[in-house]
Amino acid sequence: MVVGDVTTGTDVLIIGAGPGGYVAAIRAGQLDLDVTLVEKDAYGGTCLNHGCIPSKALISATDVAHDASTAEEMGIHADPAVDLAGMVGWKDDIVDQLTGGVEKLCKANGVNLVEGRAEFAGDNTVRVAHAGEGQGSETIQFEHAIVATGSRPMAIPNFAFDGERIISSREALALDAVPESLVVVGAGYIGMELSTVFAKLGTDVTVVEMLDSALPAYEDDVARVVKSRAEELGIDFHFGEGASEWVESGDGITVKTEDEDGEISEFGAEKALVAVGREPVTDALNLDAIGLATDEGGFLETDDRARTDVETVFAVGDVAGEPMLAHKGMKEGEVAVEVIAGEPSALDYQSVPAAVFTDPEIGTVGMTEKEAKEAGFSTVVGEMPMRASGRALTLGESDGFVRVVADDDAGFVLGAQIVAPEASELIAELGLAVEMGATLEDVAATIHTHPTLGEAVMEAVENARDRAIHTLNR
Amino acid sequence: MVREFELPDVGEGVAEGEIVDWLVEEGDPVEEDQPVAEVETDKAVVDVPSPVDGSVQEIHAAAGEMVPVGTVIITFAEEGDADSGEATTTEESKETDAATEASAATGDVETTAEETADEETPTASGRVFAAPSARRLARELGVDIGSIDGSGPGGRVSEHDVRAAAEDAKEVDEEGSDSPEPATTRVEGSSGTDAGEGDTTGGGAAQASSTGQPSASGSAAGGATAGESADRERTLAAPATRKLAADSGVDIDAVPTDEERDGEAFVTPAAVESYAEAQQAAQDADRAAVAESRGEERIPYRGVRRTIGQQMAESKYTAPHVTHHDEVDVTALVEARTDLKELADEQGISLSYMPFVMKACVAALREFPMVNSMLDEEAEEIVQKKYYNIGVATATDAGLMVPVVEDADRKNMLQLASEMNELVEKARERTISREEMQGGTFTITNVGAIGGEYATPIINHPEVAILALGAIKEKPRVVDGEIVPRKVMTLSLSIDHRVVDGAIAAQFTNRVEEFLENPQRLLLEA
Repeated sequence: MVVGDVTTGTDVLIIGAGPGGYVAAIRAGQLDLDVTLVEKDAYGGTCLNHGCIPSKALISATDVAHDASTAEEMGIHADPAVDLAGMVGWKDDIVDQLTGGVEKLCKANGVNLVEGRAEFAGDNTVRVAHAGEGQGSETIQFEHAIVATGSRPMAIPNFAFDGERIISSREALALDAVPESLVVVGAGYIGMELSTVFAKLGTDVTVVEMLDSALPAYEDDVARVVKSRAEELGIDFHFGEGASEWVESGDGITVKTEDEDGEISEFGAEKALVAVGREPVTDALNLDAIGLATDEGGFLETDDRARTDVETVFAVGDVAGEPMLAHKGMKEGEVAVEVIAGEPSALDYQSVPAAVFTDPEIGTVGMTEKEAKEAGFSTVVGEMPMRASGRALTLGESDGFVRVVADDDAGFVLGAQIVAPEASELIAELGLAVEMGATLEDVAATIHTHPTLGEAVMEAVENARDRAIHTLNR
Repeated sequence: MVREFELPDVGEGVAEGEIVDWLVEEGDPVEEDQPVAEVETDKAVVDVPSPVDGSVQEIHAAAGEMVPVGTVIITFAEEGDADSGEATTTEESKETDAATEASAATGDVETTAEETADEETPTASGRVFAAPSARRLARELGVDIGSIDGSGPGGRVSEHDVRAAAEDAKEVDEEGSDSPEPATTRVEGSSGTDAGEGDTTGGGAAQASSTGQPSASGSAAGGATAGESADRERTLAAPATRKLAADSGVDIDAVPTDEERDGEAFVTPAAVESYAEAQQAAQDADRAAVAESRGEERIPYRGVRRTIGQQMAESKYTAPHVTHHDEVDVTALVEARTDLKELADEQGISLSYMPFVMKACVAALREFPMVNSMLDEEAEEIVQKKYYNIGVATATDAGLMVPVVEDADRKNMLQLASEMNELVEKARERTISREEMQGGTFTITNVGAIGGEYATPIINHPEVAILALGAIKEKPRVVDGEIVPRKVMTLSLSIDHRVVDGAIAAQFTNRVEEFLENPQRLLLEA
């Protein structure tokens, strides 16, 4: 035993205080379990500190400025001056408020908070190296451990993150000045959200994507709406090209890309933002010590109780696999602790909704029409274009549509794809429908407030029943 | 493989049958087609054969029970399966033991309740149409929600469906296994050990005792709830449960329950049902007790008795009955029968008066076809039968039965006698088949065999006439101006006045009498 090493014991040891970990910790406290939460960096994890929350803050702030400057049609003429440092400061305040809140909630629920980096040291022990030199370490014995170490931005060859020229989403959300030009590698949701932010701030944005479309995870007609809008904002797309290397050139850099045929293109920019995906953080856990191994992608495989191959070890959130979404990790965190507490809890959710905060936003839940057909359903689909929504017109944002996919026989709502203003909010209703096993009739028979964007959901559902009022039924 | 056997449709249109007796016991080996049960339907007792070679695994209906057709009455283990069935049971109990040992082992260490949790309910793969709350309940009750056929729109599974499925599963479990006892004992034993080790292992002891408790309190509660009623001011229950209580004539505040919601007693539909059943049983018992004390006995109205009753009521309420009475001098018939009886005896056939009467009736029916008909009300047609199937009303221990002698017009006296005797015997022994009591066109009932002169017989619907024979008595009659003692029999002919008029009835009776007065005239009849 290392000198100064202290051994303590706990029922539930949670590694990582991101959305999966802190939710698990609070629930464990509520269930009167003796719980210890180890965090090496900052409470709230990526989501609160470097992801969801900061990006949403910047998106909203830039929208204010951008909308004001593009509202001539509404009779508004303005030329707002943006102070990025000020904007980032406002964002940091929000982050501080939220992370502070998480810490307080943990303490209020009796969670033992330990700062440091944890690694497994044996069958039922972890060693936590306290942050800062000379702070020592401690060994914690546990009955159950929950791994919630999250994920980090994935790097690509020749593009090591230096925080200066080659940045990840984390640095992009903390810049003190608006770059004049930016090459964004990757047109997934992170690349698209940040491209939109910087384009609206006046940055000259070039997006390079290896695949042949923007937001390749989404259906073509959904992605097309976002890409068109992005192009209107001046974003330059280059598909079928992979970033191969970069060199310094004058004040900035030159990013070289290569397509399938080996043809090389060069794009000059002040910085390059690499957003090609995220990878789970499992390498520093010393999993060998407890007899666990990751799959090829570095993920820990879990069952429907969030349990790994080692019965006393659970994994939640990004380390437990796709989709890497905070709300999925939160659900897993709750279930893991409830299972530990002996409750009949399980991961039997019917769908994980997803949102992309582009312009317009995307919200999806459940199955696409194609997926539903593949799953053996005879499908019926209903759509409502936002240009037929009174509320969308009054917002000056009438791009996009709401689409619902249902089972033609029983009318069960199976999924929905929304690309529209506030799609991230609108999808919640359809998420409830999917989860509850509601039918088209159930949603259609529910009165929706007028005039709201939510009416478009009702209209799309009615459209699937050939009973829409404000669109022509197909 | 286990083979469930449903009560088959043992006769045309039979809706239910009474299990008269089981011919096998659980565990008995059986061969295919071996009779396993006697089932009484309308008028017949039928043997139910085994469909398989194997053994009797379980008998589901008690002797004396009325069972609807299609109900599983017995399960067989098909040949070669009895062993594997036992093997499964053994494995299960092994698992239970292992689980128990595991929980005992982890009991040493301080532990949470998880280890003692029942086996986890797997989550359904693929889309499930049920609210999250219903899915949680399914896990809680150990039900695979994917296997439940929901009652909601499109088969959506409700909380109620989950509870019902759990109840069903529980019943099956309780029927299926007799072995949980040792496991329970073992858990209780280990709790004693844990507690003995010291107070610090409170967690282990608490768990063990909580594991032990439900079985103990459960059985006690089971006994108590049967008769006991609660008396609450307020009860929480779903509207559907309240309705169920109202429909069952039960006060929801009186339904005993252990469940609580928000600190208030909460009553489930299952609790209402079991309480209602208990109340019903108690009432029945009370009524039976009161009746017995006054010298009454309640006899189930079913099987043959009920069939007779239904048949009689239908006939009497459907057909306007008119009964025509007359007397006939059968002195010559008595002599003829006395002569012929000896001859018949030589052939081993007992010759009664009935074959003579049957012959006489057939001759008369030929002449008055309306009497040998039925009314097809639906088609608005009277169906005159060109065949003569004569029913013979027979008193048996179980009640009235009417075996039918088919084609009486084409059979000679001895054939009629032997066939009738055989059928009557079968009816008395209750080995007669349904088919042998169907298809009659006219019925004769010999009430005189027991005694009496006249009767007003009820027609064996949908036939349109029935002839009752009184006893043959020596009575004074005027013959050629002199009073002489003669053998006299009375006849009572009931007719369905919708089809047969009184005049026809009288004429028909007259014709029968002519044959009976002069039995030699029957020689002219085929």
